[in-house]
Amino acid sequence: MTEEGAGGPGPAAGIEGRLQRVPTGVPGLDAVLRGGLFAGGGYIVRGGPGAGKTILANQVCFQHARAGGKALFVTLLAENHARMVQHLERLGFYDPALVPNGVYYVSAFRALEEGGLRGLMTLLRREVRARGATVLAVDGLMAVAEGGDSDREFRKFFHELQAFISTEGCVALLLVSSSRAEHHPEHTMVDGLIALEDSRVGSRSQRELEVRKSRGSGALRGRHPFRITDGGIAVYPRIEALLARPSQPDGRPDGRVSTGVPALDGMMGGGPLAGTTTLVLGASGTGKTTLGMHYLARSSEREPGLHFGFYETPDRLAAYAASMGLDLDGPVQRGDLEILWRPTAEQIMDDLGSQLIEAVRRRGVKRLFVDGLGGYLEAIDRRERVSQVFAALCNELRALGVTTFVAGETMNLVGPEVAVPVEGVSVIVDNMVLLRFVELRARLHRLVSVMKVRGSDFDLALREFRITGAGIELAGTFADAESVMSGFGVERQAAVRRGSAFAPGKGPTRPRGGGG
Amino acid sequence: MATVLVIDDEFGLAEVIEMALEDEGHRVIAAVNGEQGLERLAEAAVDLVLLDYMMPILDGPGVLRAMRAEPVLRLIPVVLMTSLDEATARRGCEGFVAFLRKPFRIEALVRTVAAALAGGGR
Repeated sequence: MTEEGAGGPGPAAGIEGRLQRVPTGVPGLDAVLRGGLFAGGGYIVRGGPGAGKTILANQVCFQHARAGGKALFVTLLAENHARMVQHLERLGFYDPALVPNGVYYVSAFRALEEGGLRGLMTLLRREVRARGATVLAVDGLMAVAEGGDSDREFRKFFHELQAFISTEGCVALLLVSSSRAEHHPEHTMVDGLIALEDSRVGSRSQRELEVRKSRGSGALRGRHPFRITDGGIAVYPRIEALLARPSQPDGRPDGRVSTGVPALDGMMGGGPLAGTTTLVLGASGTGKTTLGMHYLARSSEREPGLHFGFYETPDRLAAYAASMGLDLDGPVQRGDLEILWRPTAEQIMDDLGSQLIEAVRRRGVKRLFVDGLGGYLEAIDRRERVSQVFAALCNELRALGVTTFVAGETMNLVGPEVAVPVEGVSVIVDNMVLLRFVELRARLHRLVSVMKVRGSDFDLALREFRITGAGIELAGTFADAESVMSGFGVERQAAVRRGSAFAPGKGPTRPRGGGG
Repeated sequence: MATVLVIDDEFGLAEVIEMALEDEGHRVIAAVNGEQGLERLAEAAVDLVLLDYMMPILDGPGVLRAMRAEPVLRLIPVVLMTSLDEATARRGCEGFVAFLRKPFRIEALVRTVAAALAGGGR
């Protein structure tokens, strides 16, 4: 095969030297395939009824035609093409203007019935050449396999087909039912095997795609979720596989970034180091989102911000910020801040992760607030993946120079225990800030403490804070840490004499902590 | 009664068309691609051709071009059947008297065939 051998829309040169890639154009699939299918390669697309085989093959055909190539869709079933097209018309990738010159449909049912495998092979060769097709989809290969021909004849047919598409530089997608066992000869002879399956995730079903074989190339292994959307199939590569290695080396931390609350910056040794991830832990209502808005209100052209949240709509968030004297509308209107809201219902974790990274890359985001970890957890399909996914995202964000705040909800509203929502996350994050309620004199107080700042000295003091019309205000240190930490503070005479921690002249004491 | 040639590579649909037209009292001849269709036209006197657009070996536009080039076949009315919209189909070929968008109902088929045989097209 020459560099130009595959024709069509110009297959992308891959890392595999002379082997050339033909992009599928299916969102996410080329990332899983590390660039696309090989020109001249044969691929089995395997799945049960309704798995999406026909849609996937048609989508590849239309994307190929859209890029200037030619595709031939051959069915071996006694089914009505028009009916299939009627279903495809609802999907965004379908473009009637590309039929018949870009995508051509023929039935080979009669050719197979009357001429057997020889007749089918003759038809395929003739039509691929006549149409100048560089993508060939064959639907209903089960009909061939069960057509009474021996395994030997079927193997011979496959050899011929492989040899033919290889010399033509044509990609072949061969659609088979999952009831056809994988030990049958065609599975060992093809260059790739793409399986489409359904998995149960709690009470919902999740479609998953797995590249079980990819000759001459390392596809992203594992089961990747996919959806059939109005636009067609969209694959969401497993984030921990996609970002197994950050897209670029992360440089040395370049200074500190303000949290937007100067007193908290002071507690963190001047603010978190640039490019680090801070987990803001606290029960519902302690002020995690408020702290995030302080942080994002500092978004600027030099430090673009992103709010990636699951609970508050952009309008509600901006209104809430305004009620505390924080201006989010201004940065949004200047393009310095983007607020993305993703309701938690029926989300796929890998989709959310990809959207987050895409939004960061698109605007060169430097200030990110994710509100919060719980939204991701609701979208996770397998609990054991959480820490791996979180680590992969943190590593990529660090490589992109993003300073990230993530809100994490603790379950206990008041009390001494701090339950990190996911095991292993506290090890991954660079910094941890804990917000909590404590009860004192029949009244709840908010306390903030810094529990970890990687690579930096930090203040171990507990500080009371209030959320006022001017946002977060930190007070002095709570002296009796033992009673306060219990969550059920025991009032002492000394504390009574001191009065409010917000009283003038109450400067904080500053015990120091070592960098983690 | 008329003799109708159905040229279509889709087995199921061709069978249904054949049965429906035979119920109407017509004689039906079938071909699975354009090349075979031209062979049938050379063998038998045909009153009407029902022609698919996308087929292997020789497509619908190819059949129409061949028929227009042959004086004996030029006057045989052709009904084009395709899942393409009519505007796209007309850009690709010309010379058909009526158009049937797939999938269609049998009543529409019977009505269109009757009109085409009567010389009225669609």
